[in-house]
Amino acid sequence: MTAITSPTATVDPYSPGVPAPARLYLNHLNPLAKVAAVLPAIVLLVFVQDLETPLWFIALAYALILSGTRITARTAALLFLAIPLGVALIGFGFSLWVDAAGVDGTAPLLRIGGWTLFTGAVEIGFATALRLASILALALIGGLTTTGPDLVRASIQQLRVPYRIGYTALAAYRFVPRFGYELSVIRAAHRVRGHHGGGGPFARLARGWGYIVPLLAGAIRHAERVALAMDARAFGAHPTRTERHLVPFRTRDIVFIAAFIAASALIFALTFPWAPA
Amino acid sequence: MPLLRVRDLSITHVGATHPSPSSVSIDVAPGEVALVLGPSGSGKSTLALALNGLIPQSVPAAVTGSVEVRGRSTAETPVAELSADVAMVFQDPDAQIVTGTLLDEVAFALENLLLPVDEVLSRSEQALRRVGLWDRSGWNPDRLSGGGRQRLAIACAIAMGSPVIVLDEPTANLDAQGIDDVYAALADLVASGDRAIILVEHNLDAAMRFATRAIVLDQQGRLAFDGPVGRVLRENTDELLTMGVWLPAATLAGRMLRERGILPDDAPLPLTPEELAAVLPVGEPVEAADRTADPSLPAPHSGIVSALTSIQPIVRARNLTVKRGRAEILHGIDLDIPAGSLTAVVGANGAGKTTLIQALAGVVPPPRGRVMIDDLDPGRASPRQIASRIGFVFQNPEHQFIAHTVFDELAHGLRLRRVPDAEIADRVGEMLRRFGLEHKAEVHPFMLSGGEKRRLSVGTALITRPGVLALDEPTFGQDRARADELLRLLADLRAEGTTVLIVTHDLQLVADHATHTVILAEGRVHASGPTAELFAADGLFESAGLRLPALHRALNPRLRGILAEAAG
Repeated sequence: MTAITSPTATVDPYSPGVPAPARLYLNHLNPLAKVAAVLPAIVLLVFVQDLETPLWFIALAYALILSGTRITARTAALLFLAIPLGVALIGFGFSLWVDAAGVDGTAPLLRIGGWTLFTGAVEIGFATALRLASILALALIGGLTTTGPDLVRASIQQLRVPYRIGYTALAAYRFVPRFGYELSVIRAAHRVRGHHGGGGPFARLARGWGYIVPLLAGAIRHAERVALAMDARAFGAHPTRTERHLVPFRTRDIVFIAAFIAASALIFALTFPWAPA
Repeated sequence: MPLLRVRDLSITHVGATHPSPSSVSIDVAPGEVALVLGPSGSGKSTLALALNGLIPQSVPAAVTGSVEVRGRSTAETPVAELSADVAMVFQDPDAQIVTGTLLDEVAFALENLLLPVDEVLSRSEQALRRVGLWDRSGWNPDRLSGGGRQRLAIACAIAMGSPVIVLDEPTANLDAQGIDDVYAALADLVASGDRAIILVEHNLDAAMRFATRAIVLDQQGRLAFDGPVGRVLRENTDELLTMGVWLPAATLAGRMLRERGILPDDAPLPLTPEELAAVLPVGEPVEAADRTADPSLPAPHSGIVSALTSIQPIVRARNLTVKRGRAEILHGIDLDIPAGSLTAVVGANGAGKTTLIQALAGVVPPPRGRVMIDDLDPGRASPRQIASRIGFVFQNPEHQFIAHTVFDELAHGLRLRRVPDAEIADRVGEMLRRFGLEHKAEVHPFMLSGGEKRRLSVGTALITRPGVLALDEPTFGQDRARADELLRLLADLRAEGTTVLIVTHDLQLVADHATHTVILAEGRVHASGPTAELFAADGLFESAGLRLPALHRALNPRLRGILAEAAG
């Protein structure tokens, strides 16, 4: 509240995560394995148009998440409230947006005056919504069970990403809550100055533009200071650095990748969404 | 061989016309604790950055002369290699933390140096234990207070085992508690006696206890004095003051007593509050530092509040309750700010200081009918109406700049009021002259110097001629010269009839400058009244969770009374 207390982070990208018991197998996989396993399915899902395939993948992802990691109230809310709600909203939203001329051959679902909602439109809307949800659910397999530092460490150890890039990216995470706080102060300051200029979207855009200069000025200065502090602590002294936390890539990671890709292939083979109708 | 050898060092920053520091030569040996003093612009921080090669290697600048650490030139040896010999602690605790846990943070430099894992761990543990943070080694550094984070930065320096530690204004961003935390950690480090410590610091009161040497740079960046700290400060007091160097509060007080003949001329000037207490005529020095609020004392609030009401209030709050989200921050505040006063709002972290001043000034509109500024209720008024009664200055001036030139910045408030162009030109011109910004009228506000930005932010708040000026932590993280400049400006404004309302954590500033003080504790008014009365009351600040300035802690009320009388 005062300047002395720093803005507290609401999201802690560094939180080490509670040490998980062995049965929560997702937490013990290499972060890269979780990315590699779901990546082929995510890429293919982008081109899928039916309802069935994304549903299968959502089921697979949920099954893995529910069996393989600790379910907190937060994750439960995400999985069982936020995602279904999002699907419903996007699904109906898109079905209103679809050009009725393309689907007027299908059965009408709802008729209000002269306007008709066709089942074909609803189908397209929900196919889109489910596709997005399935991609999100697959990403959550890794997202819910990996910490930022572990992903960076794995990228450095297995993908040979230069550690200067990895650790600098991690340091940049620290900027986020700070900027959020700074932005709120800038907005209050501009409001006091009477910098209103109306309520329309253009006025809002203009106001937003006015926040950028002070925000950027602060950000650049802050980044320079952080860079000096890192230099002063031997960052970049050698081509490698000591890694206290090894993130091993083990047989189980290969097994997980292989099994998941096999399961993906099976789903695609069964539903085969690209079959000529 | 000295640890650190600086010869004829001159550093010219890009765009600067003359070097600062300029032709500086010093040697530093193990066990020395050298304070680097000097007015703003003398190049103290620049000198600090040159000691481990950040200048010129990371910050480009023209450097002549040489800096050697254990015989290695800092211009040629990479910073990363030098870091094993020279560790740095910077001013902003937020800007030097890069990892997610205390342990990772301390290990960061050791890992960069490719030390084996078991050595990284044992050294990190030792360093964290030394600053008393080992039991929190798994914490995210964000959970620490500002003082805690600076202690962490000191632990990082200790872990590297560097024989030289350079601290650049390590307490400038901290409150009184944080300053004590940092100095406790530093005192422990000094006690081991095997390192050299270079301390750039303007808060001399705490540093005086263990500094052995003072290195003073003058306005031009030249070496003005260099020698044992006691000798330099005692023998050159007047010169130092003229140069704009901060002196310990005890020394200033002693000097004032000497001028008034209370302290004999031949007695040495005191450097610490304890020394001051010892030389005061009636002084049996009291164990004041440990004194806490005496519960048997009558509640001080009522009597002191009533003393206030004889003066016409310009800002009034009645039963002011402010919620932020679901949490109630302020609970039924009753408050009168006397017209023409310089009133300071103080309180521990989380007491609601900023919330109170923002509600009074309508930055966050208060509930209706609870606050009156002169004849206006900020709960019902538009920002434009409020701005003509009370001007608000944010802590960071940059946050409130919205125009592309200094002139437009000042004209903004008037244009919103549809003031005719000719009058705008007149009033802005007058404001530019008053704040010494005439030749900057067409400059972008962000291109001004720090002091100019602060003056401009005050100018924008005053352009609509409000009767009250409110400032939120305006001296936070600033050096003495800039803080003094602002306080002189506020004194001038007050002399012209403006009421000044200021939130601050600097109780020395309150004691020296505020006519009235409001102490907040847990969202309630703990006490309010004339500053001198509040400081005279025993345990009043302590019971609100505040720490009195070092000077006050070391003196009992009777001695403080003598000081206050002498000052008055």
